[in-house]
Amino acid sequence: MKLAKYGLVLYLFLALPPVANLLESIMIVHMHMQMPLLIASGFLMGRFFQLKFPRFFEKWNSNGVPGIILFIIVWSYWMIPRAMDEAITIQAVEIFKFISLPLLAGVPLRDSWKKLASVGKDITFVYFILMFLIMGWIYIGSESQVCNNYLLVEQKTVGFGSLAIAACIIIYLLQLIFIDQSEFDEVQKD
Amino acid sequence: MEQSLKETIRQDPKKILGVNPLDAKVSLSYLTVAFVSLLIGGILGLVQGLERAGLIDLPSWLNYYQVLTAHGLLLLLVFTATFSIGYLYANLSHALGGLLPKVRKFAWVGFVLMIIGVAMAVTMIVLNEASVLYTFYPPLAAHPIFYIGLVFVVLGIWACCAGVFINYRHWRKNHPGQVTPLLAYFTMAVFVLWFFATIGVTIEVFTLIPWSMGLVETTNVMVGRTLFWWFGHTLVNIWYLVAISAWYVFVPKIIGGRHFSDKLIRLVVILVVVLNIPGGFHHQIIDPAISQSIKFLHVFMSLSIAVPSLMTAFAMFAVFERTGRKLGGKGLLGWLKKLPWGDVRFLAPMIAMISFIFGGAGGIVNTSNQLNQVIHNTMWVVGHFHITVGVSVVLTFFGICYWLIPYLAKRKLTPKMNKLGIIQTVIWTVGMIIMSGSMHIVGLLGDPRRTSDTTYGGHEAAAGWIPFEMLFAVGATLLLIGVIIQVYAVFNMMFFAPKGLTEYPVAEPEDDATPAPMWTERWGLWIVLLLAVVAMAYVVPIVDMILNAPPGSPPIRTW
Ligand code: HEM
Ligand SMILES: [Cu+2]
Repeated sequence: MKLAKYGLVLYLFLALPPVANLLESIMIVHMHMQMPLLIASGFLMGRFFQLKFPRFFEKWNSNGVPGIILFIIVWSYWMIPRAMDEAITIQAVEIFKFISLPLLAGVPLRDSWKKLASVGKDITFVYFILMFLIMGWIYIGSESQVCNNYLLVEQKTVGFGSLAIAACIIIYLLQLIFIDQSEFDEVQKD
Repeated sequence: MEQSLKETIRQDPKKILGVNPLDAKVSLSYLTVAFVSLLIGGILGLVQGLERAGLIDLPSWLNYYQVLTAHGLLLLLVFTATFSIGYLYANLSHALGGLLPKVRKFAWVGFVLMIIGVAMAVTMIVLNEASVLYTFYPPLAAHPIFYIGLVFVVLGIWACCAGVFINYRHWRKNHPGQVTPLLAYFTMAVFVLWFFATIGVTIEVFTLIPWSMGLVETTNVMVGRTLFWWFGHTLVNIWYLVAISAWYVFVPKIIGGRHFSDKLIRLVVILVVVLNIPGGFHHQIIDPAISQSIKFLHVFMSLSIAVPSLMTAFAMFAVFERTGRKLGGKGLLGWLKKLPWGDVRFLAPMIAMISFIFGGAGGIVNTSNQLNQVIHNTMWVVGHFHITVGVSVVLTFFGICYWLIPYLAKRKLTPKMNKLGIIQTVIWTVGMIIMSGSMHIVGLLGDPRRTSDTTYGGHEAAAGWIPFEMLFAVGATLLLIGVIIQVYAVFNMMFFAPKGLTEYPVAEPEDDATPAPMWTERWGLWIVLLLAVVAMAYVVPIVDMILNAPPGSPPIRTW
């Protein structure tokens, strides 16, 4: 529950107008920092909802699949340039962003990840690797502005940033494969 | 001290005999290079101090910037790198029960590569073909051989990294379910940082080589500076980790106490490794071509290192107080008196820690945008890093010498040598207080760094700096005496001190301590996080610098 409180504090901090303005003023920070942090705040607050509505999660998200699909859809939606643009220009969309990312992406991620079978996790990773690679390709390659609010150079920056994130996820998976994870089990062998 | 030594021999002979003779030779070779560099670098330091004070005039065949380049490179890079490699390889050998033969070979290959590299770079400096200062910022262009020498140094460091990683994996495979010993853990962390630190600067150097040879016409100055500080700042935190490894693991034993919570120590290490690299931007606060908002975000990056620093300060003082009280210290500060101030193995790192308080405070000034405008490129900065590197780091290194070298050479620290060490420590401290203190003040008055003559035709503002510059010379003289004593002590302990056994003073955990959790060993994860933090920090400015680049600069030789 302490973590849930930290999540709430993080959420409120991100919602402060000067903080939101600063983070949204740089395209890549908007997409790859503010949004993931909103998801993280929801992830942290997830515990609160799990305790409050245990039945709900059991009924609708027993194996984690519906939750992770919701997470994937919501986060992918916010990667669409049009969605980011509107978050900046239309107040209602901005509010929707601040509700959907924590509640419809962060909370379901929290509830689903532990329940997912390893295939589910792998598929999620692969999906995000592909998504970031494709985004990188599009954003770097595109010669015209896809967002009205951001310059072309910022767009290319997002492209390179997406490639970097994809690379990090790939390295993470590689080390999962090549390093025997049972090494880190707490149980002392005798 | 005598008794605890006997006890250790009885209980655990490997504690005494842990580093085998072949491994000891590796470490001693690195330490020899370190202290030869210190001697040369120290002499050059005095030359600079005297020249700045106007007390000497350098002959026409030797210019100030040549001297300054050599001083910076020899002390900042060669001395600190070779010392820490020698020290850490000894720790690794001690903690893991000897190096693998293969790993020892890596260490020797690294040694040879580094010597070749340093020889190439230094030769070019001596020939006055590379007076580019240790930062070698483009568009200042050195002779290509200077850069090629740097490549060799990096290759040497990578060989040492490979050795450590191999030994670490080997140990982990054979010890399932156990956390690595603290000393090996620190070693692993430092070499992970070495590896990722040198990637940035290697990319930079590979762009500078064809440019200095004239194969490429221009270079991107901003990218060069950014990649340099990716390395330069990380180097600072490499020293920091090396120093705190001694503070956490050896100092508690020397004062007769136990080390602080294993888990907290490892958490500090992980934080430094993961968060460190992007701090490099605080060296570029005045650089154009990095937008204001990015600089603002980076303030958080660089202040985040204060978190592990404060944790360290807290932990160390907790250990001191606990130990002092156990030894019978009473009252609020009575425990302070119970600490072994007469033991150089304690006194030197203790002064190092105290000076870190001042160094850290100065660092916060440097990293704050508005304050940086006042002190940027003034002597303040030189004062700052002579306190941080020159005292916090270097005195810790000196303190380590007084047990590590006798241990490796199978000799003893005599009471006489201990006394000499105390004298050395005091001289060094006083010298640095005088030199660095006056540098701080005169920096606030505007005296520029990296400038051989600052009389400006006798302008009155500049005239006010002269008394302080005289103080540099006084401090510098004391410091050179300190260097000479230290180098004498090191080689005396290596070759002439009476034969005998010396203790490797590794502290034990408290009796009721819980062992560190296994997740701390997830280096794969820490490295991915490190990369993610680097990506977050560097993508924006670097893409901006490249896509919005000005025409670029041809090589320039200003000397
Ligand atoms: C005998 C002891 C020492 C003396 C007398 C000394 C003196 C000086 C002086 C006078 C400067 C010139 C400042 C300028 O013109 O900008 C300088 C620069 C410098 N010193 Fe020292 N120093 C000593 C030890 C050290 C040590 C132990 C280190 C590091 C381990 C160190 C690292 C540096 C660096 C990196 C610079 C800056 C070079 C540059 O700006 O390119 N010094 N030192
Ligand atoms: Cu730095």
